[in-house]
Amino acid sequence: MTALDGLTVDVPRGLVGLVGANGAGKTTLFRLLLGLARPTEGSVDVCGRSVAADPVGSRARLGYMPEHDCLPLDQSAADVVATLGELSGLPARAARQRASEVLDLVGLDEARFRPVGGFSTGMRQRVKLAQSLVADPELALLDEPTAGLDPTGREEMLVLVGRLASFGISVLLATHLLDDVARVCDHVVMLDAGRLVVAGPTETLLHQTGKLTVEVNAGVGRLARVLAERGLTVVNDEDLDADGEGGSVDVVVGPDPGPVLDTIRDVLADLGLPLHRLSSRAASLDEAFVADRGAAGTGWR
Amino acid sequence: MSGRGAVYDRGYRPYDGPRGGRVAAVLALYKASVRRAIGLRRSWRQKFLPLGLLAVVSIPAAVNVGIGYATRNSPLEGFSFFTYREYVGVSSALLLFVAVCAPDVVCPDRRQRVLPVIFARPLTGTDYVLAKLAAIATLVFAFSILPQVLLFVGQTLVSKDGSLHYISDHADIIWKVPVAVAALAAYYAALSLAVSSLTARRVVAGASVFGLMIVSSVVAHILRESGSLAGRGQLFNILALPLLVRDLVFDGHIHESSPMSGVAGAGAMALAAYAAVLATSVAVLLWRYRWAER
Repeated sequence: MTALDGLTVDVPRGLVGLVGANGAGKTTLFRLLLGLARPTEGSVDVCGRSVAADPVGSRARLGYMPEHDCLPLDQSAADVVATLGELSGLPARAARQRASEVLDLVGLDEARFRPVGGFSTGMRQRVKLAQSLVADPELALLDEPTAGLDPTGREEMLVLVGRLASFGISVLLATHLLDDVARVCDHVVMLDAGRLVVAGPTETLLHQTGKLTVEVNAGVGRLARVLAERGLTVVNDEDLDADGEGGSVDVVVGPDPGPVLDTIRDVLADLGLPLHRLSSRAASLDEAFVADRGAAGTGWR
Repeated sequence: MSGRGAVYDRGYRPYDGPRGGRVAAVLALYKASVRRAIGLRRSWRQKFLPLGLLAVVSIPAAVNVGIGYATRNSPLEGFSFFTYREYVGVSSALLLFVAVCAPDVVCPDRRQRVLPVIFARPLTGTDYVLAKLAAIATLVFAFSILPQVLLFVGQTLVSKDGSLHYISDHADIIWKVPVAVAALAAYYAALSLAVSSLTARRVVAGASVFGLMIVSSVVAHILRESGSLAGRGQLFNILALPLLVRDLVFDGHIHESSPMSGVAGAGAMALAAYAAVLATSVAVLLWRYRWAER
């Protein structure tokens, strides 16, 4: 089975979202970054180091929070995080100190001496995040950190993840929840069935698929036709052939909407149509994902 | 988040202190495994069995020393229940100790899926195996040597001829016991961990370790009694192989009480069988944790 295919992507520092449905290849990409799997072709560099040349050394400055449960249930949170800190190479005393600090940071200061087995899902997610941060990594790989959390817990987790960049910790946030990425990430990498769909700054992706809605009182069919003839991308589900009727036309705009607005103004003037409403709407990342999957010819399954 | 606590803004302090590499990671995993096996930083229930068993195996030494003290001025002076060689041996308590501790240090890592976060650290599958082996071998060594130390020190103190005389008479014990116990510890650690690594359930692993030992000794007995292999049938007794090595350490040959005594090349065969079981166990362990190997 090919989990990732022909993936070439440059991920910048900061908060980066890795988006894809289940089975898209997110966890496999994490395993490649951690040096726990080898690519059949190509190479992986993390934080300027070749993973193939020194997989163990490159792991030393990474933090990893798996999606699934990964905590010894009969030990206290403080012991779990301190032990994993020592495994990352911290001296014993420093590991206990750091465990204390990161558990404070994730809001588990009072509960940290209790066994993890008695923790709620939200508290366990916090311990999982804390263990990934205990050795002060350059890059934290967080796999679905909001999985299983209630709305408040999800919000708190996203706030926490959003703050990591200000601590000097870059984050690769794997999720299938595009809203999470839109909330906290500066950059997005979208995968589908092991292939790269699109990668770029979150803002740009949102703009690229933004829309302008042009609503007229009559002649909507004619308007749509002429806008398309002038090179604009018109996206409307309903049939716009009814020439005499009023209605609205959606036009796709890129990062710079100026030329599109000029064209719309000219077409309306040329056709003498009464403009009823002109509004812009930034697309959600879901729409961007759907659009780019469509463009990549993968379509919805 | 339920069971909540507020996220306090206490800032974040980057860590700029020293960082160890693989050696530090292996040492940390070793320490954590030893702590776990004897129940340190865990509830008293987890401490009870290993420490209780240690007390049980120390009883014969204490009794022996007690009798030595009580009879130091009587015609029974010098009486002993057992020799140092016999005390380096397999007891039910040792078997139980191994069957409890070995599964406890590897099975939960697999069952609770801790392995991915361990191997996301700067260590490899081989390092993991090394740390776990060293931890269990250390515990079995300590478990077996502490009663011996108690016996030796006790006998030294109650000796009628004086401590120095006793020590000079038993000077060989000072190296023979640790060597034999080390051979025993490495063997049982590797074998019990290899069996435990094949399952994620502690109970199944413990029962398998115990069962393998008992079944192999029964098989060896049947082979011996059937006459087809005669004394060589003892080589199939996985439980008793380290005792043949112990005999070699103490006497230079297989002891007369062993069914293998008198068999030509018995010592070499015993050593080969011991090494084969040890190597197979280590190979199984490396294979089970190969997925994190590079």
